[in-house]
Amino acid sequence: MPILEIKDLQAGIAGRQILRGVNLTIVPGEVHAIMGPNGSGKSTLAQVLAGRDTYVVTGGSVRLDGQDLLELSPEERACAGLFLAFQYPVEIPGVSTSYFLKAALNAVRKYHGQPELDAMDFLKLMKQKMKLLDMDPSFLSRAVNEGFSGGEKKRNEILQMAVLDPKLAILDETDSGLDIDALRIVAGGVNSLRGPDRGILLVTHYQRLLNYIVPDYVHVLRDGQIIKSGDKNLALELEARGYGWLEEPAAVH
Amino acid sequence: MTQVMTNTSYLQRLLPTGSDSSTSGPLWLQARREEARRQWLRVGLPKNSDEQWRFTDLSPLAETDFSTPAAAPAAVPSSDGRLPGLEGAALVLVNGNLYRPASRLPPAPVKIALLSQAAAADSKIFADLLGAQAHPSHHGLIALNTANFSDVVLVEVPAGVTVAAPLNLAVHALGNQPFTTYPRILLKVGANAAVTVVFSFTGPDHLAYLTNSVVEATVGAGSRVELVKIQREGTAALHIGSDYIHLDRDVTFQSLSLNQGGLLVRNNVTVTLAGPGSQATLNGLSMTAGRQHVDNHTMLDHAREQCASHELYKSLLAGRSSGTFTGKILVRPGAQKTDAKQTSKAVLLSSQATMNSQPQLEIYADDVKCTHGSTNGPLDDEQLFYLRARGLACNQARAMLTSAFASDVLARVWQPALRTMLEDLVVTELHRLEREEF
Ligand SMILES: Nc1ncnc2c1ncn2[C@@H]1O[C@H](COP(=O)(O)OP(=O)(O)O)[C@@H](O)[C@H]1O
Ligand SMILES: [Mg+2]
Repeated sequence: MPILEIKDLQAGIAGRQILRGVNLTIVPGEVHAIMGPNGSGKSTLAQVLAGRDTYVVTGGSVRLDGQDLLELSPEERACAGLFLAFQYPVEIPGVSTSYFLKAALNAVRKYHGQPELDAMDFLKLMKQKMKLLDMDPSFLSRAVNEGFSGGEKKRNEILQMAVLDPKLAILDETDSGLDIDALRIVAGGVNSLRGPDRGILLVTHYQRLLNYIVPDYVHVLRDGQIIKSGDKNLALELEARGYGWLEEPAAVH
Repeated sequence: MTQVMTNTSYLQRLLPTGSDSSTSGPLWLQARREEARRQWLRVGLPKNSDEQWRFTDLSPLAETDFSTPAAAPAAVPSSDGRLPGLEGAALVLVNGNLYRPASRLPPAPVKIALLSQAAAADSKIFADLLGAQAHPSHHGLIALNTANFSDVVLVEVPAGVTVAAPLNLAVHALGNQPFTTYPRILLKVGANAAVTVVFSFTGPDHLAYLTNSVVEATVGAGSRVELVKIQREGTAALHIGSDYIHLDRDVTFQSLSLNQGGLLVRNNVTVTLAGPGSQATLNGLSMTAGRQHVDNHTMLDHAREQCASHELYKSLLAGRSSGTFTGKILVRPGAQKTDAKQTSKAVLLSSQATMNSQPQLEIYADDVKCTHGSTNGPLDDEQLFYLRARGLACNQARAMLTSAFASDVLARVWQPALRTMLEDLVVTELHRLEREEF
């Protein structure tokens, strides 16, 4: 069964359509990349999948592991195994990263009928995951994303992903604003989560990230539609030639 | 409002009956009572047309048929208003009178004295402190308190003394039909002393009663003083608190005004920075629901140079509740290098809640820094979505954001045990607001 199955998804904001019939299927173990010029609707797609109610879905369907995703609240989606690494992670003053992560992890565990983790086990898990991302333990006591550098925010997203262990991870421009060292670390973190049971959807504007996280499939989104799909070589071609040569819409996939 | 101005029958009604209070006690007291009575009859309740009372309509006070102030009862219910989890001394005041059986008096050298029991020789300190700051001419409620108080409690911390545990004044209102109470408290802290005083106000739910309290504090040079007010009056109570704090030089002063109870609440806080080099930090946290109204009115009188004042007032408003913050700052001539900062922040948890904030700056010195800012709005959608996208249920996410909003104010409290107690109190209170909201 596919982990994600998007059929003819149409969505927008009041009075304006942004996604105009998106089709995409991801089966467990696959890494897909969505590329496309600025404003093509990549973040909209990511946010719609996560359940942001600023966007109105006007048509189509989405299934996560066979379940109707669009029926679920954002928290139910997260608990059901969908994770979105935000393009712009949100600062939450007054809430420490560890308190937040523990609450999130326990919410997900509770949903699956698992007992809550106690403080000791939680800390052990955090230490292990933070090592993976070369993060200082002092992160935990800082307020969520508050005063974090761009790179720290992105790393924090990947840390959350590693802790919550989703079935489907959507990474929205996780590479933007990262220097090369940070990019390597973040990519290493993502690669370590690659596995036969998980699907990954990378949203990116540049090909650069795909040197580190090599995708199985690459799709080009333009004006709210996937106009071309291919393998990792498509990304290299886009890098060399830009988006201009993709004039005509691709045949429906 | 017209009623308040035309119908003046309430004026007499709210004064003590008989000749009792104006002809007992030392002569100086009788004279001050008489002056206060006259002032009250002249001005009555503050009116909305007065700029300083624009947002708070006191007409319910004129319209309620209060019984005469309740005398000290023989016994106090077990919930006598003392705070759980606070060690240290506790003075329990019932309707303005010290209730000894429930009190745990502080050990020497802290001194507690009552005007009602002061020998003639001891009454001088009362004569000096009482009304030195809270003068009946300020507004009608000071006059009314002065005409009515049944006792005056004096707490004295001598120079050089550090009181380790917070000193709790549990101010309890007790009665079973509409009544009035007039707590009157004096606090005298000598030079180079340190103390935290916690005032907690409680009373019966579903009963219209008035707590009209006046606190006058003087703080000696070089001292560190923290005053925490926890206003948990009953659900139909009218609470008017007027706190005056006079700071000598090089004082570090902090206050917290935590409001969760009462139906109609007005907190007047007046801090006079009377010596150079002092710092005053005023914090506030109001959590309201239903039709509650909380009006925080602060006045910082920068009388001398090199002083700093820092105000942070926060409000969480649910239901149809309303809030007001007025921050008056007076920088007197010669108060150079004044650094005054004022911030009011409100989260409106429902579309029917309202908040008004206004600075009032009067500056008569040129080398000063005064800033003010206010923000009012609902909980941040992006923050809510971020938390929910990580699996937190909507109400859990909201609770996390509201307690985060309150956290910086609470984090400033000096005493760790007190801080923990307040955090628990606030968490419980925030659940009440959440229930209200949906
Ligand atoms: N909340 C929003 N309000 C108004 N316009 C929006 C909103 N979100 C997205 N858009 C518009 O939709 C289009 C797609 O945006 P987005 O999904 O962010 O593109 P991308 O991530 O590919 O750069 C853009 O034209 C953008 O301006
Ligand atoms: Mg984007």
